[in-house]
Amino acid sequence: MADEVKIGTAPFDPRFPNQNQTKHCFTSFVDYKRCTKLRGEDYAPCKYFEKAYNSLCPNAWVEKWESQIEEGTFPTKI
Amino acid sequence: MMVVKKHPFHMVDMSPWPLSTSIGALVMTTGLVKWFNQFNINLLIIGLLITVISSFQWWRDISRESTYQGLHTKKVLSGMKLGMVLFIISEVFFFLSFFWAFFHSSLSPSVELGMQWPPMGIQPFNPMQIPLLNTIILLSSGVSVTYTHHSILEKTMTHSKKSLMLTVILGLYFSCLQALEYWEAPFSMADSVYGSTFFMATGFHGIHVIVGTTFLFISLIRLMKNHFSSYHHFGFEAAAWYWHFVDVVWLFLYINVYWWGA
Repeated sequence: MADEVKIGTAPFDPRFPNQNQTKHCFTSFVDYKRCTKLRGEDYAPCKYFEKAYNSLCPNAWVEKWESQIEEGTFPTKI
Repeated sequence: MMVVKKHPFHMVDMSPWPLSTSIGALVMTTGLVKWFNQFNINLLIIGLLITVISSFQWWRDISRESTYQGLHTKKVLSGMKLGMVLFIISEVFFFLSFFWAFFHSSLSPSVELGMQWPPMGIQPFNPMQIPLLNTIILLSSGVSVTYTHHSILEKTMTHSKKSLMLTVILGLYFSCLQALEYWEAPFSMADSVYGSTFFMATGFHGIHVIVGTTFLFISLIRLMKNHFSSYHHFGFEAAAWYWHFVDVVWLFLYINVYWWGA
């Protein structure tokens, strides 16, 4: 049998206690970008943010934000 | 046989001004819509003219009825005081809505704004520059208008005229400085919800400053024409109340929009 696949999602974050998790998604995405910028792509703890935003965010949003970063129109500083 | 009025109230004579002012208000608001949608200000200008001219004549008639005909008894006066108080309260609610909009957008900025306030790219005004001067101007004008009131109560008319003139000049000074700020602003009303909330709140405040200054100026003219006595000068009092209200709204704007919001 194959190894058990671990299924999970982003843990509870008391900063975002309500049903609407938009800001949780956005904050995780921004934190990941800032983490890797500051510590490098291979810094393991940044993976926490990566897993969080990958779980929480619609892919379309991530694609849009990635293209904004490329164009220089991302609305906050990384 | 002389007509005897056995009550202290003022049953106003027939007048065309309420109707023409209402028509003016309708034409003005329709003109506003036409300006927004078709970029044409003609109807708005016509509406403004009709409203202003009708208002002028209506209020002139009230001055005639009170000062020259003596029809404003204590009861009439207390009715007008209540009316002015209720009107100012309604204006408080009007501004409350714009402050609500401001706090709604600024306390928890959306992800589209990058979850920050001011949004990226917006250069807010330095609250320690012209906005601070404007605050000092309005606070000083509040002092001078209070001095005017006390001078009227104490029948020192020269002092009352000078301090009321100073109040009007300070009001004009504020308007000029604010117009300059608007002209030189690095952001416009179209610049995200920041621009919208900023210009809606400060814009309506500016309109109220102009209205208040006009009201004070008319009071000054009436003061110079000796319309007021030391115990009956409600036209001036109403203008002063309105002016204090304008000052308080500015203080809220300064603290929250200009200072906290920057």
